[in-house]
Amino acid sequence: MLKKTSWLLATAVAVTFGGVAQADWKPAKPVEFVVTSAPGGGTDNFARVVQSIIAKHKLMDQSIVVTNKGGGSGAEGFIYTKIATGDSHKLTFGTNNAYLLPYVAKLAYKPDELTPVAAMALDEFLLWVKADAPYKDAKSYIEAVKAKPDTFKMGGSQSKDTDQTLTSLIQDATGAKFIYVPFQGGGAAGVQLAGGHIDSNTNNPNENAGQWKAGAITPLCVFSPTRLQGGVKVTATMGWSDIPTCKEAGIPIDQFQMPRTVWLPGGVPAESVAFYADLLKKVSETPEWKEYIDRTSQTNRFLAGQDLKTFIASDDAKNRKVFEQEGWLVR
Amino acid sequence: MISRYTAEVGTATLTAGLGLAAVVGALEFGIGWGDAGPEPGAFPFYIGLLVVAASVGTLIQATVGRRGLQSVFLHREEAKRVASFFLPMLAFVVVARLLGLYVATALYLSFVMWVQGKYRFVIAVASGIAAAVIFYFVLEVAFQVPLLKGPLEAALGLY
Amino acid sequence: MENFASLLHGFGVALTTYHVMLMMVGVLLGILVGVLPGLGAPNGVSLLLPLTFTMDPVAAIILLTSMYWGALFGGSTTSILFNIPGEPSSVATTFDGYPMARQGHATQALTLAFLSAGFGALVGVILITVLSTWVAKFALRFSSPEYFAVYFLAFASFIGLGAASPFKTVVSMGLGFAFAAVGMDTVSGGLRLTYGFNELLSGISFLIAVIGLFGIGELMLTMEEGLRFDGIRARVKVRDVFKTIATLPRYWVTLLRSAAIGCWMGITPGGPTAASFMSYGLAKRLSRRKDGFGQGEPEGVVAPETADHAAGSSAILPMLALGVPGSATAAVMMGGLMIWGLNPGPMLFVERPDFVWGLIASMYLGNIVAVLMVLATIPLFASILRIPFAIIGPVIVVVCFIGAYTVAGRPFDLWLALAFGVVGYLFKKLDYPIAPLVLAMVLGDKAEDAFRQSMIMSRGSLSIFWSNGLVATLMLIGIALALGPLLSIVLSRLVKPKASSAVA
Repeated sequence: MLKKTSWLLATAVAVTFGGVAQADWKPAKPVEFVVTSAPGGGTDNFARVVQSIIAKHKLMDQSIVVTNKGGGSGAEGFIYTKIATGDSHKLTFGTNNAYLLPYVAKLAYKPDELTPVAAMALDEFLLWVKADAPYKDAKSYIEAVKAKPDTFKMGGSQSKDTDQTLTSLIQDATGAKFIYVPFQGGGAAGVQLAGGHIDSNTNNPNENAGQWKAGAITPLCVFSPTRLQGGVKVTATMGWSDIPTCKEAGIPIDQFQMPRTVWLPGGVPAESVAFYADLLKKVSETPEWKEYIDRTSQTNRFLAGQDLKTFIASDDAKNRKVFEQEGWLVR
Repeated sequence: MISRYTAEVGTATLTAGLGLAAVVGALEFGIGWGDAGPEPGAFPFYIGLLVVAASVGTLIQATVGRRGLQSVFLHREEAKRVASFFLPMLAFVVVARLLGLYVATALYLSFVMWVQGKYRFVIAVASGIAAAVIFYFVLEVAFQVPLLKGPLEAALGLY
Repeated sequence: MENFASLLHGFGVALTTYHVMLMMVGVLLGILVGVLPGLGAPNGVSLLLPLTFTMDPVAAIILLTSMYWGALFGGSTTSILFNIPGEPSSVATTFDGYPMARQGHATQALTLAFLSAGFGALVGVILITVLSTWVAKFALRFSSPEYFAVYFLAFASFIGLGAASPFKTVVSMGLGFAFAAVGMDTVSGGLRLTYGFNELLSGISFLIAVIGLFGIGELMLTMEEGLRFDGIRARVKVRDVFKTIATLPRYWVTLLRSAAIGCWMGITPGGPTAASFMSYGLAKRLSRRKDGFGQGEPEGVVAPETADHAAGSSAILPMLALGVPGSATAAVMMGGLMIWGLNPGPMLFVERPDFVWGLIASMYLGNIVAVLMVLATIPLFASILRIPFAIIGPVIVVVCFIGAYTVAGRPFDLWLALAFGVVGYLFKKLDYPIAPLVLAMVLGDKAEDAFRQSMIMSRGSLSIFWSNGLVATLMLIGIALALGPLLSIVLSRLVKPKASSAVA
């Protein structure tokens, strides 16, 4: 943990000084956007939206090349970034997997070998069940699961990743026991729920919106400290803002969100970190970005510098606790 | 000159080795059948065993039928032809790693056309360079697919 | 009937000069990316995507799907001419397409491939038109056990086909499974068989294996035989194209059966690659000219091509109706849909009928445009074979390696392709069958994931594979297909000694 703190300090220093020297650095050649997911994944959409906004508003003189390195749940991209130490022309897009992956798999990079630039949005998690299931709220569903432990199936994307972590948190907070079934992605988990093959999932809004609209599934609560934005009705009776927070609904988890993060390799000058932080800040202020956030029902939150450092440290600690308890840590 | 028997034995040993590698690699992850079905290593473990067993089967078959396998697998003349194709290709990969794919493409095409195709040196070199430039424009410029690059591209300021 | 009214409306949307021009541009670009191995449809689509943000969604999706068709056709072209499948789903086309080209029948092989592909795609689109609602509901009934059963079915219909030594077949298939297991394991979230190498993190790409085994391995064999392309001297006559068109109705049984297999695998999660293998396998089993397969049998080109395209087009439906992409290309297109502000899912049909039916109508038109355009390019492609081998050989080498690099931008893949090339050469010379390796690499990890997910759901009980009518039926058909050849071998063994003793 000591190492991690020193890394965060170094970053903070870098960002502070970077703010002063901002005008001094500019990309001298095309910038590579390294996407730590396959084409079509959530991170891919995130990076391509940023790319399209930068291109549309001409926020940068140099062009952008997007490469997908999604192997090993994104580890491929982060290792690629680590190897490019000192290269300020490689911007890597990820989630909290950037600092969580090395806990659960033996990987040839450590989070402190990457330089955090910004977090641009928080993706939300909801608890979903089939629309014709006899549960009106989260509480009654959890009661039903508790009554028959190890029979209800919770689907999610991948293993030892956000969905399973959240499932583990729910189990801890309520005493219910699920069977967790890992699928290839959130989309697949959504269809499995609509088809009635699993009992619930914890998908992001955008992964399940289509099935909800069609009346196949319904959300019980959102793992966010406040309700979601957006007053438009999605179904005849409900919109995103009508979904209670899980805390309101009786699951004592205040907050579980996934940051969409941007990184540079280690050993880059503070000026370049500041340049990209500033660039991404500009991106996050455009109407197109707002539109992306609304469409995917994420929470718009731009974090850089000290705030980012604090956020990462607390998110890291929270997840690490779950990993430790579940015995997922590899080192 | 290599006999068919030698080739059979060599290849079967290679596949047995690959199978063994899978078995050894799989042992790390648990090969049992837990309450949630097979553990991560189970599938590669048994597949590896199967490959080893079948390779041994091939070995036995080859040894038992050794007489029938005395035919020539590769004549000297054929071996030469394969080598004359394979070695430049190997060099191409090595050069590509060191100097990038474009330089390697130009060198490789020029060399093969000049030495093996018996084209005139100037024509061979010109075609090699032309091919590399065409690839550059199609991939890098038109489709924005970056290829492996080396010091030459860096010196020219091409990303 | 309601669907037909919507479709007519869709034709109204799709049939404008602007849209038809977009189709032609898309098809051309698609052929280009399809012909270059490694630069597949996903590359092309993700490249065009940013351009389409400013276009209207109907025009954008028409451009992208046309590119998809073009790429599928382009992939078959290189399979036939150079034994290098440009797309994973055209691997099975090489089995008979390449021998045909070597015997000087490149024009016939290409014409048959394109026509049967066009036919398959049309059947797929008609299926979508007529049964869209039913298909979407049917697809919802599939969960992990059913997925496993579908993969099992694909394996079962393909194994036990070749005349190769059973040991060698097992080695080949086993290696395919082992290669497929390398990298991140979805079910456990851990890395497997990477031995600490970063290069193996993302697994061994199926495309690299195909480029090496087929492309480079084949070139080494050709070189050994002494620099000859037997097809070179074959004259390209435009008349041959028309002659071949006239022979197509002869294969109507194969066409219909392959289209049915393709549609089935497109709707269920099997996908185009599995469909083409399964269709080839069944065509060989049921053909009267079994021995010709692998030596340049036209039916061996018709069967995989029809199924490949039938699956490719019918797979668009689950993407639109369920939001589950069946392929990398579909995933990119789905990303595009969302950026254009459309949510794939059951409601897309209700909310944006103009878009959905415009797209479906454009699939009809796009395919016809694509078939006409590729037929027109046949003389051009076939004439590539007339270029001296001292030039075309090395160019293919370069294209193979560039293709290997572009798959994921990993320098290590160059070595991997070279290694697979050597393996391909040895395997071919020693009569190891390569197809089982390829099939195992494509379906291996998916089948394993589906199996283990099923086991998690059932708490380790195999009975889940008999738990409902659908999965039980699939498993039974699969078992019957798998045991069929074994039974016939056993029977023939039992019968033969008697026959020979009778002679004695």
